[in-house]
Amino acid sequence: MAAPCVSCCRGLSYRLFLGLRVNFAQRQGYWQTLPVDAQTAPESQILRLIHTTVVTTKKNVSASGRDSYTEDFIKKQIEEFNIGKRHLANMMGEDPETFTQEDIDRAIAYLFPSGLFEKRARPIMKHPEQIFPKQRAIQRGEDGRPFHFLFYTGRQSYYSLMHDTYGKLLQLEKHNDPFPQKTESMNPIGSRWLIKEELEEMLVEKLSDQDYMQFIWLLEKLLTLQYGPAEEEFIQRFRRSVTIQSQKQLIEPLQYDEQGMAFSTSEGRRKSARAEAVVYERGSGKIRVNGIDYLQYFPITQDREQLMFPFHYLDRLGKHDVICTVSGGGRSAQAGAIRLAMAKALCSFITEDEVEWMRQAGLLTSDPRVRERKKPGQEGARRKFTWKKR
Amino acid sequence: MAARTVWAAGRCSEQAGAVNRAVRRLPGLTQVRWSRYGPEFRDPLTDKGHCRKPAAELTEEEKYDQDLGKTQLIKAAPAAQTCSAFADPVISKSTNMMMKGGSKVLARSLMAQTLEAVERKQFEKYHAASAEEQATIERNPYTIFHQALKNCEPVIGLVPILKGGHFYQVPVPLSDRRRRFLAMKWMIKDCRENKPRRTLMPEKLSYELLEAFANKGPVIKRKHDMHKMAEANRALAHYRWW
Repeated sequence: MAAPCVSCCRGLSYRLFLGLRVNFAQRQGYWQTLPVDAQTAPESQILRLIHTTVVTTKKNVSASGRDSYTEDFIKKQIEEFNIGKRHLANMMGEDPETFTQEDIDRAIAYLFPSGLFEKRARPIMKHPEQIFPKQRAIQRGEDGRPFHFLFYTGRQSYYSLMHDTYGKLLQLEKHNDPFPQKTESMNPIGSRWLIKEELEEMLVEKLSDQDYMQFIWLLEKLLTLQYGPAEEEFIQRFRRSVTIQSQKQLIEPLQYDEQGMAFSTSEGRRKSARAEAVVYERGSGKIRVNGIDYLQYFPITQDREQLMFPFHYLDRLGKHDVICTVSGGGRSAQAGAIRLAMAKALCSFITEDEVEWMRQAGLLTSDPRVRERKKPGQEGARRKFTWKKR
Repeated sequence: MAARTVWAAGRCSEQAGAVNRAVRRLPGLTQVRWSRYGPEFRDPLTDKGHCRKPAAELTEEEKYDQDLGKTQLIKAAPAAQTCSAFADPVISKSTNMMMKGGSKVLARSLMAQTLEAVERKQFEKYHAASAEEQATIERNPYTIFHQALKNCEPVIGLVPILKGGHFYQVPVPLSDRRRRFLAMKWMIKDCRENKPRRTLMPEKLSYELLEAFANKGPVIKRKHDMHKMAEANRALAHYRWW
């Protein structure tokens, strides 16, 4: 039993380092370095660790670039990560098979509570792909001859990708009719092309804006032709999904009181005002705030307009009764807080389309604007002291 | 076409978002003109008719815009905005410009009194006029307000440009927003400064609005002065580089 524990501890200690990009040189004591052997057998033309430390070498960094990690090293890290994950699951009493990354994060936060403000400085345990920067495989052999036929373009991944894509395009054009009629657009809103940063990350190469736009143009041209499942898979590699914001809206469940009337409760906040609203399904449009009728509580027309806004937008002005409590803030903040609470509570009584309309009208967003703090050396948040020449 | 705009829109907003987020993280750089909303947030549309169109009536563009809107984050509606038919953006803007010290209550009541005064004056004129003239008298205070401000908008403005150690007033075309702003600003400033003692703002402003509606009055004169200056300085127009 001791041996697995030891390995688990070692495995974990390898994994639990700071989330910042670790300089390879600093970890020299822990990791074993493979020596660079000049005279190896000709068949071992696979990746070799070119281990460099910033301290010892200032020699020219070869085509493989800065400090590199071998594939074997990364594989070993992945194995250790998986083993460590299973041990962590066992420690937390969970099932190792269904231990997800969120569970790992929670477990680490529990076992190693850190009060550091910088989130990236806290202990993390993530898959090595997310920790080690993606780097290029070594591109030349021992004799200096590069592997890829486009190596001397300087950006082999990008040009080979363009080459492949254009090849597919030509192939499809050959098989299709010269004037394709695409009846429906194959670009549903749920996905988007990946952005330039994501493509750079994928290719591990720097791109310019024009390169990126050329590539996307090629892909779009591909979309206009009829393609099979292989091309579909190729294209999907460059699509990312986009969240449909309306689906993120939390809809409160309906509750029922003693008379069987349905009602829904929700809270709202604005500046330092906190409000809670209970909206009843049937009513005559009466609103009571802190036990007082809204006409007396809000003598200003603008505030009452804000209270009416959600109902007016959905054409349900005289149809619901509301009882709300509010505290804190000023008169406008309280009105805004109650408006948000009522809009959220109303979501339980309406269709999904109407929820989306309310969201588009800005009724379901919590207003993040708060009073800006006064800064030292200035009179207010923005106002500076009077400038005196001397 | 639609496909291209997808990625363009998505990329622009995300690029801007990415750049902004990167700038926010860098400790040495602080942006002065920042807002609590991220750059990816879009302004809300409080217009009731916007979402009500049935699906059959939407054009391709509108359908696409609607779908795109579903993926975007929306800001909260401001406290002075409602979906009411009585809410007018021009009136709200003027109210805000008239406001002093943050007392929106006072500004709004002054604006309401102004519109009431305009309407009363027009009704008096209406009842005192003969049948043919009655057809020409405009009684809706909102149309009078809009038309008066439109009449006050300058077409061309002057901008001080530094050249050779001297500031020259160069004629420059103005954007729509700037024009509307100048019209409102001149109107309010004139009403504050050039009124006799003990006149209240609604009275003076309603009088000025009616004069501007008829293309007379000090604000219209100021607009004409601006145009004349621009015409006089038209030789300096080539100093403009944008």
